[in-house]
Amino acid sequence: MLKKAAEYALASLVKAGADKAQVSVSSGDSEEFNVDAGEFSLIRSVFSSGIAVKAVKDGKKGTASVNQLDKESIDEAVKECIESAEAGVPDDAVTVAEKEENCDFVSGALAPDKAAFFDSLIRFTEDVKREFPQIMIEQLVATYGRGKLVTANTNGVLFTEEDGYYSVSVMYSAHDGERATSFNSFDIDYLDPNTVIMDTDIPRMMFRRAVRELDAVPFEGKFCGTAVLSPLCLSSFISIIEGAFAGDYALIEGISPWKDKLGQQVASPSFTLSVAPDDERMVCGEKVTSDGYRSVGFDIIKDGILESFCLSEYASRKTGLERAKSSSGCVVVNAGEKALSDIIGGIDKGVLVCRFSGGEPANNGDFSGVAKNSFLIENGKITDALTETMISGNFADMLMNVKEISSDTISDGSCVLPYVAFDGVTVSGK
Amino acid sequence: MSYDLKQLIAAAGSHAELRIQTTRRRQVSVLSGDLVSNVSGTSSGACARVYNDGVWGFASESGKNSDCAERLIASAAENARLLGSRKPKNLGALDNAVPFCFETDKTYKDVDQKTLINFATELDAYIGKKYPSLASRSISARAACVEKTLYTSEGGFTHQLFPRTYIIVAMSADAPDGSTVELFDILGGGAGGFGEYYRDPAEFCGQIDSLYDELMKKREGIYPDAGECTCIIDSSICGMVAHEAVGHTVEADLVAAGSVALTSLNCVVASPLVNLSDFAHTAFGKEVPLPVYADDEGTKAQDVTLIKDGVLVGYMNDLMSAKHFNMTPAGNARAFSYSDEPLIRMRNTCIHPGKDKLSDMIASVDNGYYLTRTQNGQADTTGEFMFGITMGYEIKNGKLGRALRDTTISGVAFNMLKTVDMLSDTVMWDFAGYCGKKQPMTVSMGGPAIRCKVNIGGR
Repeated sequence: MLKKAAEYALASLVKAGADKAQVSVSSGDSEEFNVDAGEFSLIRSVFSSGIAVKAVKDGKKGTASVNQLDKESIDEAVKECIESAEAGVPDDAVTVAEKEENCDFVSGALAPDKAAFFDSLIRFTEDVKREFPQIMIEQLVATYGRGKLVTANTNGVLFTEEDGYYSVSVMYSAHDGERATSFNSFDIDYLDPNTVIMDTDIPRMMFRRAVRELDAVPFEGKFCGTAVLSPLCLSSFISIIEGAFAGDYALIEGISPWKDKLGQQVASPSFTLSVAPDDERMVCGEKVTSDGYRSVGFDIIKDGILESFCLSEYASRKTGLERAKSSSGCVVVNAGEKALSDIIGGIDKGVLVCRFSGGEPANNGDFSGVAKNSFLIENGKITDALTETMISGNFADMLMNVKEISSDTISDGSCVLPYVAFDGVTVSGK
Repeated sequence: MSYDLKQLIAAAGSHAELRIQTTRRRQVSVLSGDLVSNVSGTSSGACARVYNDGVWGFASESGKNSDCAERLIASAAENARLLGSRKPKNLGALDNAVPFCFETDKTYKDVDQKTLINFATELDAYIGKKYPSLASRSISARAACVEKTLYTSEGGFTHQLFPRTYIIVAMSADAPDGSTVELFDILGGGAGGFGEYYRDPAEFCGQIDSLYDELMKKREGIYPDAGECTCIIDSSICGMVAHEAVGHTVEADLVAAGSVALTSLNCVVASPLVNLSDFAHTAFGKEVPLPVYADDEGTKAQDVTLIKDGVLVGYMNDLMSAKHFNMTPAGNARAFSYSDEPLIRMRNTCIHPGKDKLSDMIASVDNGYYLTRTQNGQADTTGEFMFGITMGYEIKNGKLGRALRDTTISGVAFNMLKTVDMLSDTVMWDFAGYCGKKQPMTVSMGGPAIRCKVNIGGR
């Protein structure tokens, strides 16, 4: 049915005057369980479908989308798309994906086990209450989702994808009388509905830290030292770096501090950052890029050298730089050789930053924000949990000042990341 | 389309809702002369939600099928039954659900894509021609309308339109130190169609020129000294204090999860000068930027007083939390998409104005900062907040000095609000943002300029 809708939409776009056209047709369903304030609150069933169409006419691009697949709705989307293209501005960089090898992808858990999933969630909430009575699950959103997607274009590209997986997203804090910690959160993607969630990489470690945070104190003073970023905090930093230094806007406008650094050193030699959608530790990693190419892994930074930007095909054609071979997530930072405890043992003064809450960084990478769920490191030991503590620095400078990378890594199904210690970060309090 | 919900949900035997929703969106983005985004889309669907003794079942389908109501209600009721059978809450019936009928007299006139493109490209051309030395410039024009029709099992019926239109202009310039500085602004717009706010691009040239002037000052800007200091938070960004610093902590679902407001009700949390409300549709004699007349549980929307003369006096509720906290629901349960369940959300959250003049407030500061633009913010259930500052000035001996580079301010809301000792007599609203909380949501926020102490990030 999805293929037929795709064929019909492509034919309609060409008939309406498109020189090139591309469509994505999807359908899916999900079952979601919610916990709020520690108690189950909602079961949610969602059935969805949609089609996104893109046309290039006389060098001008138009796009439109609608979330129904009947003929009338597709006709409406095609009409809107062509009108948008006709009203557009010519741009040599707009196009649709070139045909490579077409493929049908099937991955993940395609048949949901709602009962087993529910049982595993009940067990998790009971495990939390038993092992960590001070932890409040502020919100848990657990979803089984599956979907089908067809990507096709007038160059002959035809990819079909079908996948399904389970995910759980947990936001929590610790409480003891009137003492309470900042919230923190984690997400885990997995394939087995019988997974014992508490036994996966992340929950116990995060909950133990949260209980310690009940004794947090405001930091007083200011120093420049080492910031050890936890894997989940590192993930948010990498997202910022991918956008601000290696993304479409920064490169098209020429405002990235890395714009002339391809093939040059942008990080310490120990630092390698890759995108690995086909890594076996990823759950249903990307199969087809948003442009319509088969998604394959690539290095952004290898041994400190900038190997690739994260550009769409449009930005690639606009800048003359290579298109990224994958368009989303699945980041891996290579592990180091020292255990986290040994890394902390070698730091005189620093912070272990487990969450960062900050403003958008400046184009040059300058940033400042609050170090949340974080701890002071003094004389090789973690001492106080911190509140009201700000950190500031420059992302580009930090990458050139990687002090250590841990051998411990965390895998949540969408990334594999270690702890990374950066020198030269300013820590300030009241 | 009409449904006899009472008959359809007889088996569920409790409060239920059926919502039919269509969202139309258009967006055009021009980046230094190139049309990089030319998008339109329609998303339609229906959903049902059924209550069962403290828990909910929900189901949704995309499309415009008029025969889906029975199927959705049955599916939602089955989910509610399943959850209630395994994890009952024993909260009892939602006897605070009152039937309310409201039908908007507003209409929405859609704009065609060509009009959006022409307007955006003309603004872009103006900037490109007048300021050729800029490192980059962008214009993004957005027009959307959400149409919601809601039926409740108590016999309530509401039909509302939520249009929103605005244009974002952004520009960046190379600074003498080799870095690039950036600023953005919202040009006009509001809760209506594109044609109501945008007729002639030339009307916005003055605002663009002012933004450019500020950007040039930012090029020469300095980083503030990190630490706690006295700041004047301008009325243009005070809404962020209302929304991020306080608003989230008094959403009743977060209160139930242990936010700082759980133990602060009827306590002094701010200076006696501070009053804070979440307005439904009218404030200070005018319709607010995001008028809400009923929420997605069918509750009539009314103002919620949160802080009165410095004392925390209320929370924002949905039906279930209102029952839990023995409060009156006032229409804060809102859903973003047809496939989303209602959550407790802010509407038009605003600190009330005071009596001071902004010029007097600035003159009163010997050594501090005047903060005028923000980009993003984040709250914490502890009340610790942060927001990014993208423009500001140092204040020395009561006079504005050098411009600031990007920084971040933070504090603990109920500590910071106690330091507020001056409020200006003018309120400004920010209506173009989205709030993130499981689902995105359109919100508006506002307030006067306030003088207070906050932590500011440096370098």
